[in-house]
Amino acid sequence: MAASPSDFPEQTAVRGDSLAARVLKGVESVLGTLAALILTVLLTVVLISVCLRYFFNTGFIGAEDLGIWLHVALISIGAPLSLNSALAMRLDVFVRLLPARLLPAAAVLADVFTVLAAMILLFGGSEIMSMLGGISPALGVPEWIRFGFLGAGGVLILVVLLLQRLAEGRALSVLISLVLGAALYFGVPEIFIDSELPPSLFLALVAALGLVLAAPLAHAFLAAAYVAIAFGSSLPEPAIVSSTVSGMSKFLLLAIPFFLLAGGLLTSSGVANQLVRFAASMVGHRRAGLAQTTLLTSVLFSGASGSSVANAAFGASTFQPELVKHGYPPAQAGAIIAATSVLDNVIPPSIAFLILATATNLSVGSLLVGGFFAGGLMAICLAVAIHLSVREQVALPRASARERWQAAISAIPAFGLGIIVVVGIRIGIVTTTEAAALAALYTIILAVWGKVGAGSLLASFRQAATESAAIGLLIGTAGPFAFLLAVDDVSGLVSEFVTILGGSALAVLILSNVILLVVGLVLDIGAAILLFGPILLPAAVAAGIDPIHFGVIIVVNLMIHGLTPPLGMLIFVVSGVTRIPATALFKAVVPYLLALLVSLAILCAWAIIF
Amino acid sequence: RNAAARTTTITTASLLGDDKPESKIWVKIGELVEAKLPGQFKFNVVKNGALGGEKEVAEGARLGSVQASLSTVSSLSGWVPELQVLDLPFLFRDAAHVRKTVGGDVGADLKQKLAAQNFVIGDFINYGARHLLTKEPVTRPEQLKGKKIRTIQSPLHTKLWSAFGTAPVGIPITETYNALATGVADAMDLTKSAYAGFKLYEVVPCMTETGHIWASGVIYYSASFWNQLNPEQKAVFQEASKEGAAYFNQLIVDDEAASVAVSLKNGGRLLKPEAFEEWQKGAQGVWQDFATIFGGMDRIKAIQSA
Ligand code: NA
Ligand code: NA
Repeated sequence: MAASPSDFPEQTAVRGDSLAARVLKGVESVLGTLAALILTVLLTVVLISVCLRYFFNTGFIGAEDLGIWLHVALISIGAPLSLNSALAMRLDVFVRLLPARLLPAAAVLADVFTVLAAMILLFGGSEIMSMLGGISPALGVPEWIRFGFLGAGGVLILVVLLLQRLAEGRALSVLISLVLGAALYFGVPEIFIDSELPPSLFLALVAALGLVLAAPLAHAFLAAAYVAIAFGSSLPEPAIVSSTVSGMSKFLLLAIPFFLLAGGLLTSSGVANQLVRFAASMVGHRRAGLAQTTLLTSVLFSGASGSSVANAAFGASTFQPELVKHGYPPAQAGAIIAATSVLDNVIPPSIAFLILATATNLSVGSLLVGGFFAGGLMAICLAVAIHLSVREQVALPRASARERWQAAISAIPAFGLGIIVVVGIRIGIVTTTEAAALAALYTIILAVWGKVGAGSLLASFRQAATESAAIGLLIGTAGPFAFLLAVDDVSGLVSEFVTILGGSALAVLILSNVILLVVGLVLDIGAAILLFGPILLPAAVAAGIDPIHFGVIIVVNLMIHGLTPPLGMLIFVVSGVTRIPATALFKAVVPYLLALLVSLAILCAWAIIF
Repeated sequence: RNAAARTTTITTASLLGDDKPESKIWVKIGELVEAKLPGQFKFNVVKNGALGGEKEVAEGARLGSVQASLSTVSSLSGWVPELQVLDLPFLFRDAAHVRKTVGGDVGADLKQKLAAQNFVIGDFINYGARHLLTKEPVTRPEQLKGKKIRTIQSPLHTKLWSAFGTAPVGIPITETYNALATGVADAMDLTKSAYAGFKLYEVVPCMTETGHIWASGVIYYSASFWNQLNPEQKAVFQEASKEGAAYFNQLIVDDEAASVAVSLKNGGRLLKPEAFEEWQKGAQGVWQDFATIFGGMDRIKAIQSA
């Protein structure tokens, strides 16, 4: 999904001594601490409600709604923090192709999208205050407050953008962006362009323009939804904001910050290293032993964490130097890490499956079972590819039975995490969100046990909060787009098209995979799932494909895109940590990419045969 | 924009697919409107909950993205708390009793309150009664003690089940099957028509016909859309909605029969509640709480004896 800011070098030089830079630093520090605080309260609310239910056989009304409201607040406070990091999900490949003299203009235009998005949140949010009405039955307070959070978030985005650009010495540039953004904001309601074409098409085109200009994806979605009004979109401004807030107001999504927190603490508490030792004792002596160890660690890590990016960052900092020391070419070492970290979002728990379940109403529990099998299949394919592609490396010495036993024992705390998550959800002591909260609690205990300092703990909370805010904002802003796609019945068009192709399961699978392969090139995985999951699923069901199996295929297909240009997120993370150029990694990852495509093909064949 | 000359598109949301009453009613209403006002309106029925849940759709109606929809009254009670009178447990004897209530003064009063909140009511509809679903047979309230029950997260529902000594658990309907299969919850309540659709007979095979809450709903139009209609058009929409509601109610009754047949065939069991007064007692606390919102226990009693 998203990368952590620390994984990437600073993109632009900030003059550290200017007033703007100091104010920016102060604002970011306050926002970060606030976001971490909200995450702490959120976690506490969910944990208390679990405790009440299982130990006192009672509950408190409104716990679920309170959690959702806090999550929206977390996103509003945390989202501005990712403006200038990789979390903003900017696609910068096209901009890089521009001649240098055009770069400042592109940067100004990209910021126009951000300004417009911020103004929509701000003014749309305040319109909702007067138009929405209603009292939350569970909380007893006006419903508009939840939408007001995001309005405030709009103001924060403007403030952070302004300070950021001033600190970079780009006062004129940001001024032009503000003027253009405001002109667009006030101009769009005055324009009506009559067209027979569906408004969602114009939304897609404007969003694509934003994408090409390297505007943050979430901001491009929002701004495009607003511009689409001029083309007859049925979503007026306040409805854009309410659809955004509704998109992020799902209890299931609370699992995302919790899983991110668990993944971060797993690494900082040192528990992840015990997984490495265990994996090494099991497969280290084989041909390409260290690479197989990397794979096995990734599988084990996947059972506890839901974020491929966390897995890639961990692997790149722990395994890559080791692999190089043992004679692997640096690019190949990085490629193996990137490829194996795909598994994290397929083997449960998985943030990708959570998002798919929210978008399509598929059961998370059933998706996770499918993920187990798919993840196992992908791991086997990767093991074969590693075996075939790695030549004459010195294997590690074979571990004795005793050493294996010891390694297994010391890895018990890490295994415990996987057990909490998987058993908790599957055997059914808790719901997915609660399982995620328990996993987070467990890693906090491990971190305290492992004497992780308060500062480092706060940093983990802050990072998880910032990452989940960026993911949450994207999920929300895909809402208006998904709404218009539904109104324009794009899903029906896909079904009709499939019928023309013969309507068979094979036709649906080929078409779906081609569509996903294409959109996955430029869209973030989360956004692609949100937009295309609901569109493709009905056609698949109509063709007799099991919806859960199809959901797994969607996720596996899109996860593979983490390894492909131009937006290969996992490659970028590994590149950011190891400083190996992304192009070298894209080249070196080809054998593993093929292995994963083979597993995708097997999954598709399976869907047709059974 | 020459609005009068072109066909007005009405975006309406259905939570379910083509073959369900929730979608079919709009085809019916659309046909009735088309017969009287040819070429003037086009219903774009967006199905399968693609526009969100009931509450999001209702918000959309107030903010201008949706023009018409169905909704259970409980989803609108954030705007009109008095609507919850229709959700009061053990208040209504049967569907006819519900119909009589919404057709009388109570219904008229609620319609007015909804209109003040920008929801113009075409008619009331009836989704059927909610019944208790359990793993083991439960016919008396005391058998529920200590069980975890999946319920709607609203004070009205949670209060009722707490009165029987159960712990209410909030689980989305899509996760409910899994939660019941694995024991996160032991029981739930649902209408008969929805029961078979989610294959719940596999995990909670015992249905006790408590009929504790009648799930009432409305056909509504957004005020911003409604206010653009001329008196003739308004009359056509009213009439079409009334016919649509009757059609919907009949479809639900047919659906219930089919659903029960499917679940019985698959090992489900249909049980009659015993000691009905004991069940009714569980509702007293809810009635008490609600009396203040609704203007006194007398009014509730009046509905009960109507
Ligand atoms: Na995982
Ligand atoms: Na990609």
